[in-house]
Amino acid sequence: MTMTESPPATATGSDGDTAVPRIASGLHTWLTTSDHKKIGLLWVVVSVLLFAAVTVVGAVLGFERADADSVDIFGGINSYFQMWTLYRVAFAILVVAPLFIGIATVVVPMQIGSTNIAFPRAALGAFWTWLIGAGITISAVLIGGGWGALDGVTSDEADAISLTLLGTGMVIFALLVASVCIATTIFSMRTSGMNLSRVPLFTWSMLVATSVWLITLPVAASNLVLAYVDLHHGGPATFGNPEPVAGVTAIWQQVDWVVSQPQVYAFAIPLLGILGSIVPVAAGARHVNHSAMIGLIGFFGFLSVGGWSQPIFHDGTEDFLFIAFGLVILLPVLGSLAGAASTLAGGDGIGLKDTHLLASLGAGVVLLAAVVSGALRVVEPFHLIARSTTTGVFNLVMVSAVLAGVAGLWFWAPKITGHQLSGGLGKLVVLDLVLGGLLLGLTDLVSGFLETPDFLLAPPVSSTADALNLISAVGAVMVALGALGLVVGLFGGLRSDAASAGDDPWDGHTLEWATTSPPPEANFSEPPAKVVSEAPLLDQSGSNESEIV
Amino acid sequence: MSQQNAVLTAPRLVRPRTVVVGSMFASAAAAMLFMGLIVIYLVERAGVREAGEEWFPSGSIEMGPPGFVFATLILSVFTIQWALQAIKADDRVNAFVALALTLVFAAAVFNQLWFIIGDTGFSLAGSDAAGPSGQEAQFFFFVINGAFAVFLILAVAFVLLTFMRALAGQYSPLQSGGIAAAALFWNTVVAMWAVTWFVVYITK
Repeated sequence: MTMTESPPATATGSDGDTAVPRIASGLHTWLTTSDHKKIGLLWVVVSVLLFAAVTVVGAVLGFERADADSVDIFGGINSYFQMWTLYRVAFAILVVAPLFIGIATVVVPMQIGSTNIAFPRAALGAFWTWLIGAGITISAVLIGGGWGALDGVTSDEADAISLTLLGTGMVIFALLVASVCIATTIFSMRTSGMNLSRVPLFTWSMLVATSVWLITLPVAASNLVLAYVDLHHGGPATFGNPEPVAGVTAIWQQVDWVVSQPQVYAFAIPLLGILGSIVPVAAGARHVNHSAMIGLIGFFGFLSVGGWSQPIFHDGTEDFLFIAFGLVILLPVLGSLAGAASTLAGGDGIGLKDTHLLASLGAGVVLLAAVVSGALRVVEPFHLIARSTTTGVFNLVMVSAVLAGVAGLWFWAPKITGHQLSGGLGKLVVLDLVLGGLLLGLTDLVSGFLETPDFLLAPPVSSTADALNLISAVGAVMVALGALGLVVGLFGGLRSDAASAGDDPWDGHTLEWATTSPPPEANFSEPPAKVVSEAPLLDQSGSNESEIV
Repeated sequence: MSQQNAVLTAPRLVRPRTVVVGSMFASAAAAMLFMGLIVIYLVERAGVREAGEEWFPSGSIEMGPPGFVFATLILSVFTIQWALQAIKADDRVNAFVALALTLVFAAAVFNQLWFIIGDTGFSLAGSDAAGPSGQEAQFFFFVINGAFAVFLILAVAFVLLTFMRALAGQYSPLQSGGIAAAALFWNTVVAMWAVTWFVVYITK
């Protein structure tokens, strides 16, 4: 009698597609799948669509601010405030964080040689909870809620504000669950030989990012709990007071720190990992100092922990720690960019022809602009804390993170969609986002020096500031156009007739490139060989002289 | 001599158990949420005291009952660890008894919490007589005890799940991760009460 232990056949790649799996991949599949690649794709698609929506809001906000005298798009200061706050919160926790979670949910298990993500049903549940929470948050803002109101609150509006807090809490809870799944996968499902110093840099950056989110976003959740209970159940109106005191609502004060320095940088941690993963592949060489990059990404993550920086704990202007964090964070960004430059310089004659390389380098440049702006903001003599520089830093960090997401999508598209994304369109998107992001962010930095406040719908303080507001609005439109291009590019890649990708079109170094595009259900047809370095495929390509076989 | 690439079979991985690691991360997040509440409580209380005002009305909080809650939870730490050790020793009867005792202790804690809240006479909004600082103190009293109760409910659900799974024949000396994960989260919740006991009840 012959016994076999072969696993049951699974659909492998586009060649194996038939009508049956196509029918099976209907709504039921998306609601019940435990395949990390499908779960990740859900995160990616929805976050990209929300990115387009958020940038439209940003552009409208920009034009409103550019001509505050005559334009009244939102119909009042309160509506403007609602959209201004929604723009910030949504950009961070409805676009950037879920975009990285989506890419990581697809890529990280393959990079570490695992067959799936840890707790796949929890990961799927996290997505649907996040989506419902996002819907509640956006709907609640649109019906008069938000994170407080500047012109008085009716009881209906108070209910809508409570609903906004509930939706935001659901979104944060879902992000935390997804973070647990990703961090646990990295911690406990690595293949043989892959210790933490050998994990690919994107995987490492996701471990750092999810760890930082796991220790900081719960603090935001505790703020939301206080605000919700106070507002909805009749507390002392200290934390849930929806009306402004000294120009800002108590509720927004408790949420604002999540999208301000230093916490805002936490949403860009994976950027350094994507940069560190793409550059060596583009250069055709190992990263010049993988270990140093691990340290730099960890250091960047440490400096972006920001729960302590909320106004309840300090005034944000004279705290030594606040200033030190704002200045020192320049070091890991500069170090990462220097590492990327050295790796490219030591490579075998690369050109800047690949979209993912351009996008990752562009992301690095915009992040550098963000941390320089942030450093200027915390330096006391400039008094930029409550000025438009705050918005500038936020926009620069968010756009840099989205650029990193673009780099990741174009780089790992063969594993995410099974197809390559359009290179020409990708380059346009990158160029547009880099220029638009820099216009959007740097003009707000300069406006800050002209004493333009962070939030004030009022005539500009000078004609120069007026002109800068207009330039900033143009930047916002460019970012919105880039978002549109990203949507078109991603959906083009999802079409079944899109250009097929090879299994390893970039000569990748890490394990995700050792499997097919798209990967089979369990990722690998056989377990990867023991890993002995951070670039296992590079080891294998030189196996005659390498220590592994 | 020809050189041939050998096909290596990956050795058995010595990685932390997935469910325990997941529980560790989840426990850390839960602890950070709770610590966020506690730290804000401390800051607000310090502000009120610096202003020379009273936080809780004197005599409103008894020392005894919260101590009994803590003692009960300490006992539950022993029983949850007892369950874990019993499963590791493949002693299912002891594991069932220990898990059941843990759930009984949890029921006792809920009962005591109910008594404490009723005994203080506080309300979430606080009475007008308490003044602004007293109202804020009562609000925090409810929020922190309420948050602890929610986490305790989650921990009970986790232990109940492992109990049912153990009854259904799951877990063994080599696969005790589920109970270890539940124990980790349970102990985190007990630590939350230890902090609450000291910050809210002892130092008042």
